[in-house]
Amino acid sequence: MPDTPSPIDALVERMARDMARRVSRRGFIGRVGALLFSTAGLPLLPVARGGQPGPAQPDAATDPGDPQTCEYWRHCATDGFLCSCCGGSVHSCPPGTEFSAVTWVGTCHNPGDGHDYIISYNDCCGESECGRCLCSRHEDDKPLYVPFKANDYNWCPGSKVGGAYHCTVARIVGVAK
Amino acid sequence: MQPWAAQPVVLTPPVQANYMLNCMGCHLADGSGAAGKVPSVRDSLGILSRNSAGRRYLVQVPGASQSPLSDLELAQVLSWMVRNLSTQAVPPDFTDFTAAEVAGYRRSPLVDVRDTRARLLEAAADRVGR
Repeated sequence: MPDTPSPIDALVERMARDMARRVSRRGFIGRVGALLFSTAGLPLLPVARGGQPGPAQPDAATDPGDPQTCEYWRHCATDGFLCSCCGGSVHSCPPGTEFSAVTWVGTCHNPGDGHDYIISYNDCCGESECGRCLCSRHEDDKPLYVPFKANDYNWCPGSKVGGAYHCTVARIVGVAK
Repeated sequence: MQPWAAQPVVLTPPVQANYMLNCMGCHLADGSGAAGKVPSVRDSLGILSRNSAGRRYLVQVPGASQSPLSDLELAQVLSWMVRNLSTQAVPPDFTDFTAAEVAGYRRSPLVDVRDTRARLLEAAADRVGR
């Protein structure tokens, strides 16, 4: 091996020393910290949460089942993709989608506490179909000619962002019996 | 009560539950509707419920007359709406809708919904203006 470094080694060494003089490790850590912090802040940006969940939420012990499955009791008349599988939850829209306020309302029986809850099936709109957790259950829904009791409609044309349908939530708004 | 004890489930009053199940999907929980698609009932309920022509309209409007509610249930829901969703104070002489009143109006269809509504509200505004 020759004692003098090759021109390429010398160039790389000079560049590394220049960078080490200009860039402090503390500054680098600070920038990484800022990046991490801003990423953590993203979920705090405005998200259409579909209004507040109803006042009468069943308690965790009496709310059996997995909201990411069609068999979950609140989905007894859901016709669409479950928002709980699409980045939202059983009562909130995924980020980037808009809640369709106008929709249909029915009841589902909660086997955990024996009550019939009043459920509002709102669509989340403004993005193309989510495609995950397709659910098609029809307890107590009516044919299309009874529009306010039919779950076959796409309710997104009633939203502020137009007709693109993404997923459906099942919000508790009351307790019927 | 122990802090970990389950909260009792509070049943929604039956009349409000009937509003939720038969009206709220379009008119929303507070009656405000969707601009350009579903009219708000908040400013019109108080006006329309004051005279027989307006009360007839409220019963005959398709969402009400064609709902699966019985005459008594519909009467109760309409009265609840006037008392809970109207932005105006309920007039002291307001009387609740009755099953007989609903039965009397409900069987004859309202063909021209929008014009009837506009005419009634305009007539009410004229009365106020005089």
